[in-house]
Amino acid sequence: MSIALDQVTKRYQEQPVVNDVSIEVAEGEFFVLLGPSGSGKSTLLRAIAGLTGIDHGRISLHGRDVTHVRARDRGVGLVFQNYALFRHMSVADNIEFALRVRRMKATDRRARRKELLKLVALEGMDERLPGQLSGGQQQRVAVARALAHKPQVLLLDEPFGALDAKIREELRRTIRAVQRELGITTVLVTHDQEEAFALADTIGVMNHGRLLEVGNPNDLYAQPATRFVATFLGAANLLLARQGADGIRFGATPVSAAGAEPVQAGREHEVVAVLRPEEVEIAGAREQLNSNYIARAAVEEIVFTGALERLRVRLLDEPCAAQLLGPSGNGDARLEITRTQHERRSLPLSQGAQIAIGARRLHVLPTPLSSFLACGATEADAAALAREPLLESLSTGMKTRVGLRAIDGLTGTPAPFAGVAAIAGGDNAAATVEWLMRHGASEVLVLPHNAPSPNRVFIHWTDEGARRATLAVAASLLRHVSAEAVYLGIVPESRPGSTRPAPMRALLDARSEAQQSHGLEMRTELAIGETVTELTRNLSTGSAQMLVLGITDVTQAGSAYRSLLAAQPGWPVLIVYRPADSRAAPEIAA
Amino acid sequence: MKNVAQREPSVIPGFGITLGFTTFFLSAIVLLPLSALVLKAAGMDWSRFIDVIASPRALASYRLSFGASLVAAGLNMVFGFVLAWTLVRYDFPGRRLVDAIIDMPFALPTAVSGIALTAIFSANGWIGQYLEPHGIFVAYTPIGITVALTLISMPFVVRTVQPALQEVQRDLEDAAETLGAGRFYVFRRIIVPTVLPALLTGFTLAFARAVGEYGSVVFIAGNKALETEITPLLIYIKLEEFDYAGAAALGCVMLTISFVMLLAINLLQVWGRKRMMVSR
Repeated sequence: MSIALDQVTKRYQEQPVVNDVSIEVAEGEFFVLLGPSGSGKSTLLRAIAGLTGIDHGRISLHGRDVTHVRARDRGVGLVFQNYALFRHMSVADNIEFALRVRRMKATDRRARRKELLKLVALEGMDERLPGQLSGGQQQRVAVARALAHKPQVLLLDEPFGALDAKIREELRRTIRAVQRELGITTVLVTHDQEEAFALADTIGVMNHGRLLEVGNPNDLYAQPATRFVATFLGAANLLLARQGADGIRFGATPVSAAGAEPVQAGREHEVVAVLRPEEVEIAGAREQLNSNYIARAAVEEIVFTGALERLRVRLLDEPCAAQLLGPSGNGDARLEITRTQHERRSLPLSQGAQIAIGARRLHVLPTPLSSFLACGATEADAAALAREPLLESLSTGMKTRVGLRAIDGLTGTPAPFAGVAAIAGGDNAAATVEWLMRHGASEVLVLPHNAPSPNRVFIHWTDEGARRATLAVAASLLRHVSAEAVYLGIVPESRPGSTRPAPMRALLDARSEAQQSHGLEMRTELAIGETVTELTRNLSTGSAQMLVLGITDVTQAGSAYRSLLAAQPGWPVLIVYRPADSRAAPEIAA
Repeated sequence: MKNVAQREPSVIPGFGITLGFTTFFLSAIVLLPLSALVLKAAGMDWSRFIDVIASPRALASYRLSFGASLVAAGLNMVFGFVLAWTLVRYDFPGRRLVDAIIDMPFALPTAVSGIALTAIFSANGWIGQYLEPHGIFVAYTPIGITVALTLISMPFVVRTVQPALQEVQRDLEDAAETLGAGRFYVFRRIIVPTVLPALLTGFTLAFARAVGEYGSVVFIAGNKALETEITPLLIYIKLEEFDYAGAAALGCVMLTISFVMLLAINLLQVWGRKRMMVSR
């Protein structure tokens, strides 16, 4: 491995800006770190360069552990967004800086400089001062300077940020060509997905200091595992679909989708599907579609962008429209479509036209948390619950909706529950949880009034059967709240003579599974005593804490955890229920 | 008027009025008194003029005045730089307080600084009593004069270098470091050249201020002719003797030397700026 980062964490004032990131970059690979501003990508790059120390983890370059090696001894070349050229030195002096530091002979320096200037197509510019060059030329000088001492690794921090579009593309081509020619391992940081696609062999997407996904551009675009990657890499329409044993249905229409995992018979659940704007097919009528029919729609907006035409359509089928996730979750759910000129010519459209919509390709995200359903005794209670700060921040962060449902009396056979059911905490909470789970809800969030966003999330499951699902749900939840994860293992009061190797093993297993399958770093704690007592005790130790609890026996919810759920003022508890007999498909958090 | 036409159109109109106003004020406040000074000196005949300005006492005073001022400005280039560096680069408790104290020599009546310094550095003063046994006499010697001049001209260097240091991008240092440069190398080859124009400006201002200083020096200098007598004091003495022409002659010499030195430093700076081509 050319660059290997192992669980690198960097904190500023206790707040992690780079959170447990592990990356391996192969020899000669062009790796792009992509993320919005503030996602920690630049900090990570500076850590690789040695300009920023790290609090935890290890960094090695070409097999050499450089975690504690100074920047000047790491042998990396770094290019900055604002060029960072030495303005009082000529181009020649800038490029020769690293060679001068190394006391190279003047004739050798000169030869190397000529070679580099040729490489970046700036021959004859030797005696210019940086101030006399254009932005693009200055950045070329900066690249040449960074390569002068033949570094093993080239690092580029938003190198095109200060340039205009045309020069940007030209420089991009130069950098790619130089990188190929030298075969130098390169890491580039950017927030521009187009840039990432154009340059990368491998893209790593970061958000909130965590590395979400790594892959080649094609795979990441076609098969994202997380909502964030799906929407950050290109445009994406997010749909809620229902998945049963017989396949996937969007509204009432069955559709086929890639990435869907088999589901246990009899239990239906909600999934989030990605529909790229270019994968939407448009036809005048349903019969003319070549792909899965989705719904009828009316054209609301047409924007001509040159090569492509952008459409915004409103679905006319109410139940279908309700399954669309807009950027804010609720309300303005519209479908975005792009068409090529060829498609446009074969079916010219004007505003208001009614069309049939089909999906050529749907990708189902393997996320266990799709949407929320606020349940109250009355519609008004449910609406009040939906306005709880924690629920609001979760649904906004996850770009999903909060549905409303009145469940008065806990009687009869309710319509199937979709997504995570949310109920208010209190004396009835335990009974409600049990009733919801008996009627098909898989996850229930019990929310005390005005619970703050947690800074610590405890994770516990009562039975190994619930482990996988609980970890997946917890990992998914922790992508959207910046909290510390603590797995709480609880062992009954030891009987004389008994030893405890088994619980310790379970603890370590849980931790490595969280890391490997979900990229979730969690601490582990072992408590001895009775489960509910220990959970209550741990939850009481801090102010903003939350519990993710996995169970396999639904009666437990109603009886054993009654006191935990009824506590005042209480804690948010997310209960994950997987019947003991379900050993269904592996679950991956997203 | 061609020059005017080539200028960028200004946000504030009225170039003619402002130029007239500037010329008038410069004339009334700066040029007129200076002309009067030259005129007064011109009233003397040449031999007497040379006698006054080339007397041993006068020559000794020039040496002291300009010498001590240069040393003071030079010291401030070093210490003022360090002070500015500390204030810009580090955040420590009381930083704002230190920042405010820097300006104190601006506000303090110079006579007060002089008396205070004398009290501290005299043979039985707080610091003087420890220096004296080692044979170091500060009060009533050229050293004392230099100390006083350093004190009163210090803010000029700090205040001009501070913004320049703030502008030195950390990226430059980071870039140099990744290229293999050590800390001292970065300081010498990157930081110093970058802030040099500001440092020179600070030096100029500090020097100009020190040359013209009078109030603080007379208390600590002891004012022995040929030894610790600065030119401004000599001028004052001439005035007290009602030798106005002599005072004016000395004033003319100071004026000329100062002007030449300031002009030289300014030209040096212009040259430096051109090399930097500061355009972002």
